[in-house]
Amino acid sequence: MQDVLARVQRAFGSAFDVEPGSVTIDTVPGDIRAWDSMGHVTLASSLEQEFGVTFDVDELMEMENVREIVRILQAKLARLDKAVT
Amino acid sequence: MSSPAQWNFAALLVERLGQGSELLDAPSSERLVATELRAAIANFAATFAAAGLRPGDRVLIGCNLRPLSSVAYLGAMFGGLVAVPLNETTLAGSGEALARKTRARAVWTECGVRGDWAARGGLRELEGRPYDTGSNAPAPTDRSEDDLAALMATSGSTAMPRLVKVSHGNLIANTEAIIRSQRLGSDERAMLVLPVSYCFGASVLHTHLYHGGAVVFDSRFMFADKVLRAIAHYGCTSFAGVPTAYQILLRRSNIRTIPMPSLRRFLQAGGALSVAAVQQMRAIVPHAEFFVMYGQTEATARISCLPPQRLTDKAGSVGVPLDNITVRIVGADGEDVPTGESGELWVAGKSISAGYLDEPEETRRRFRGGWLATGDIASRDEEGYLWINGREGEFIKMCGIRVGFAEIETTVAAVHGVLECAAAAVPHAEAGEALTLYVVAAERADDVVAAVRRSLPPKWPCDSITLVAELPRNAHGKLVRSQLPQLARPALAGGDTRARASEDSRPADEIWRT
Repeated sequence: MQDVLARVQRAFGSAFDVEPGSVTIDTVPGDIRAWDSMGHVTLASSLEQEFGVTFDVDELMEMENVREIVRILQAKLARLDKAVT
Repeated sequence: MSSPAQWNFAALLVERLGQGSELLDAPSSERLVATELRAAIANFAATFAAAGLRPGDRVLIGCNLRPLSSVAYLGAMFGGLVAVPLNETTLAGSGEALARKTRARAVWTECGVRGDWAARGGLRELEGRPYDTGSNAPAPTDRSEDDLAALMATSGSTAMPRLVKVSHGNLIANTEAIIRSQRLGSDERAMLVLPVSYCFGASVLHTHLYHGGAVVFDSRFMFADKVLRAIAHYGCTSFAGVPTAYQILLRRSNIRTIPMPSLRRFLQAGGALSVAAVQQMRAIVPHAEFFVMYGQTEATARISCLPPQRLTDKAGSVGVPLDNITVRIVGADGEDVPTGESGELWVAGKSISAGYLDEPEETRRRFRGGWLATGDIASRDEEGYLWINGREGEFIKMCGIRVGFAEIETTVAAVHGVLECAAAAVPHAEAGEALTLYVVAAERADDVVAAVRRSLPPKWPCDSITLVAELPRNAHGKLVRSQLPQLARPALAGGDTRARASEDSRPADEIWRT
């Protein structure tokens, strides 16, 4: 969880040019000025690069805040682990 | 156009509100029905007057995608003030400089101004809802045709936007012509995901209310499915978007499975959307007409519109001028060029602005004796349809021949598997300049680079084709050409693990040197 959050923070940093540490589990789009529709696409690309995954449309729609993003990524990474082992 | 006794655009708009007129906030379902909207617009005028503002004074309006900022904007105009609608991000970043530039006397925001720049600049700060004047709501302030109604920021890539002087007469002329060109009924409901600080967003607000309709605001376009469901839920009839919005709908939404039975039309402006994307939109939502349009802030908003019944045989055209706009295609010698040949597009009519605020040199360059020199290179066919071939200065000179980036990008975007393309020039030993292309490909991108290369005529030497995940765009979805070179070297930007991860997992991010 901590590890995923740290990487999510890094992805936010590169997507929005914000201090990664300023992003918390409680951050919502209203907290970050550039997190609009265009920004969401940039963020998705940044997260995809950071984690080496791709999001489907339904996942993009669920990524309403950092907590949800972490939840979706944890589920995704768990699925990938399972597929590998 | 009618010849109103009253030229105050907001007053005319209020008069024309219908029984079904309302402003609605989709996320919260909060709404202002027609009677409340009328009162709120007048109350805002009263609130600004009570703060000491007089007709002709300028007021910065912090715009977001909720109804209240639009009401404040219309209320300022209703009270004879000059509204300066700015999106909240611009206001936060450049509010102080824009206040100085406009000599604004006040700033209104929904939730307060960040920082102390307004206080330091002596601006009155107004926030949130207006006073309730009850039965003492003021009458609109009389305005004449040429009186300023708004200063609209251009969406160019410069850090400090230019401000276009928009008069009440400009707004009336453009609004009425747009209503005719889109054949709007009196029962329309627009879904608006663009702020009214952007002239396209403002034009949707204006036309729908002015014709007795309603506007639904939705700030959740980042979760596009929510907006699509809101279109269905609130019975919206129009959706307005820039090219990027349609690319997001096609690539990052469930538009194929979310039914929108009420939708009658898609409105598209703000740059060129590929013919392929238009065709996909048509195929996915065949019952909604698709309006390809062209405009500029300097022309209030809209200049031309492609009638949907000509979408196929005039694919790629931006249509015909609105019925109160005259156009010329002007060559380098200042004379009209023959039909079918390229030149700069000049437009004239009552919706053309008088110029930029306090920029006499740039105003002289663009506004010439009633004509607006758009800076767009266009041609006109024998039926009067306009084709935009590029933008002044956005050319590459290969083997001595100038080719517009727009023409190249249209050619490449037509290749199967290509979603979007941006072209740039690099020096070339033999040709002088050669192309470098940035291509956003559909998911299975294996053969796209080869297909793009095959699509290029031999007279267009191509140095490289880079597949990228997204093109750099500004807040209005406009391509930011200056950021293109940064896309070319993702692996060199620090050489960190992220770039490598992207190459491993996402072939679309790899660089293809060809």
